[in-house]
Amino acid sequence: MVTHPGSARTARTARRLNSPRPALVEAHADGTPRRINRQTVGTVREEWRVVDRWWTEEPVHRRYFDVVLETGENAVVYRDDDAGSWFTQRA
Amino acid sequence: MCSCRTYVPVIAAIVIPAFDLRAALRLHPRLQAKAAALAPLPGTEPLIGSVTGLAEAKGVRPGMRLGEALATCPELELVEQDPATAEQAWEEILRRLEDAGFGVEPAEPGTVYFETKGVERLYGGLEPALKRALAAVGTMWDARAGAAERRFAALAAANVARAGQALIVSDDRARSFLAPLPLTLLPLERSRYAELEELGVRTIGQLAGLPGSAVSERLGPDGQRAWSLARGEQDGRVSPRRTAVALHETLEFPEAVGNELTLRRGLAVLLDRLLARPERAGRPPRKVAVWARLVGGASWRRTVTLREATADPVRLRAALGSKLLELPAPALKLRLEISELAEHTGEQLELVAAAGDVVKGQLREGLRQVKAAVGAGGVSTVVEVAPWSRIPEARALLVPRDD
Repeated sequence: MVTHPGSARTARTARRLNSPRPALVEAHADGTPRRINRQTVGTVREEWRVVDRWWTEEPVHRRYFDVVLETGENAVVYRDDDAGSWFTQRA
Repeated sequence: MCSCRTYVPVIAAIVIPAFDLRAALRLHPRLQAKAAALAPLPGTEPLIGSVTGLAEAKGVRPGMRLGEALATCPELELVEQDPATAEQAWEEILRRLEDAGFGVEPAEPGTVYFETKGVERLYGGLEPALKRALAAVGTMWDARAGAAERRFAALAAANVARAGQALIVSDDRARSFLAPLPLTLLPLERSRYAELEELGVRTIGQLAGLPGSAVSERLGPDGQRAWSLARGEQDGRVSPRRTAVALHETLEFPEAVGNELTLRRGLAVLLDRLLARPERAGRPPRKVAVWARLVGGASWRRTVTLREATADPVRLRAALGSKLLELPAPALKLRLEISELAEHTGEQLELVAAAGDVVKGQLREGLRQVKAAVGAGGVSTVVEVAPWSRIPEARALLVPRDD
C-alpha cells in the first residue's frame, strides 16, 4: 500500500526564537565594535557580559554591546569569547 | 466581400532602468557620476542591488556578493536603500502619466504598462503618444518606451530602446525582434538563466525553438510561461489601476524618537487627523501606509491592507501600531497615508458581540487563511521555556501549530 503523498504530515520542528546571527564586526583594541556589517558605529550605549552554563559542556561567555550606528539604526552585537566570533541578536 | 480591419489595442511599456538606485541617488547627486551600487538591506544576504553605469563598466553586476563587488571595484560607493523615497517618486511618475490621460498598470517600481487606444487620437498617433508619456515621466529618469501588441514584446522593446527613445514593434515582426535578445528579459529565476546557458540556450529565439513539452518538463510552469512569451504568444491585456487617493498627514518630531509609546501617540494623532479629512467622504480606509524618515536620512515604510475596510480608530491603531515595532532606528518624521479607500460608506455590524466558541472559530478561520497564504509552517506559537534566562535565545521557542 502506498500512502498518498499529500497526506504526509509536515514535520513539526520547534525553532529557537531570537537566535543569534553571524555578524561582520571590526573592533577597537579595547574590544568595542568599530564597524558592524560595514556600517560605522556611532555610539556604544551599553555594554554587559553574560557568563552562564559554565558547569556544562557548552558554557556561554558573551560580551554584549548595544550600539547606535551612524545611519541611526540600533543594533545589539556580542562577541562569543569561546568561539572568538561576533553575532547580532535582539537582547 | 467586405474588408474590415479590426483595431488591435497596442500595449506600451515604460521602463526606468535601476529605478530604485536612481531614486536613492536623488539625495546624493554627487554619486550619480561615480561607481555606486545599492547596499544590501541590514540583516539580509549581502548582495548588492542596482548599480550605476560606471560601476557596471568596471565589472560590478547587480546581485553580486558585496565582498566580490568591493574586490572588483574598490572605489565602489554604497548607497543606502531608500524604499520610501523610491515609492514616493514612483507614485509621482504614475500620477503624471495619469494626468496626461494614460490608464496605467504599474508592474513594479520602474516598469509600467498602458494601452494607447484612448490617447492615440488625443496626441495624433502612437509615436506622439509615447513621446508624451516619456515627457510626463521626465527627462531626469532616462525612461524608455516600447510598444507592441503583446505585453512582453512591449517590455522587451522598452528594455532595448535608448533613454528617451520609443521603439514600436509590429506583431508580424515580434518573433524576429525577440529572437536575438538575451534570456534575462524573461521573467525567470536567476538560477534558471545559468541552467539554460549551460544547455547552450542563450537567446529568446533559441528558447522559443525548443519543444514546449521539453521546456515544461525541465523548467516547470515558470519555464513554460517563459517559453510561451518567447514565442510571442498572447500574455494578457492591461488593467489600469484605480486612481489612488492621496490622503496623508505628517508629524515632525523636534528630536529623533525611538520610544514606542511616543511613536504610538504620534500615530494616534495622525490617525485622528486623517480620519477627520472631508475628502474621505465617510468611506473607510482599505489600504494604509505608515512612513518614517529616520535619523541619518534613511527612510522606512510599511503598507497594511486591511482584510475588512474600517474607520474604527481602535482597530486601525491595533493594525498599524505593531508595525512601529519594526522601525530600525529613531524617527524624525512620521507620516500616515491612506492609499486606498473602500467604495462603501456603511459597515455591517454584529447584533451580538462574538464570544466563546465564536471567537475561537474566527481565530481558527484567521489561522487557516494565513496558512493558506504562506504554507503549513506559517503559523507558530511562541512558547516561553525559560523567560528568566540571561541567554536571549533560550527564553522562548517557536512551535509550529497545525490546528
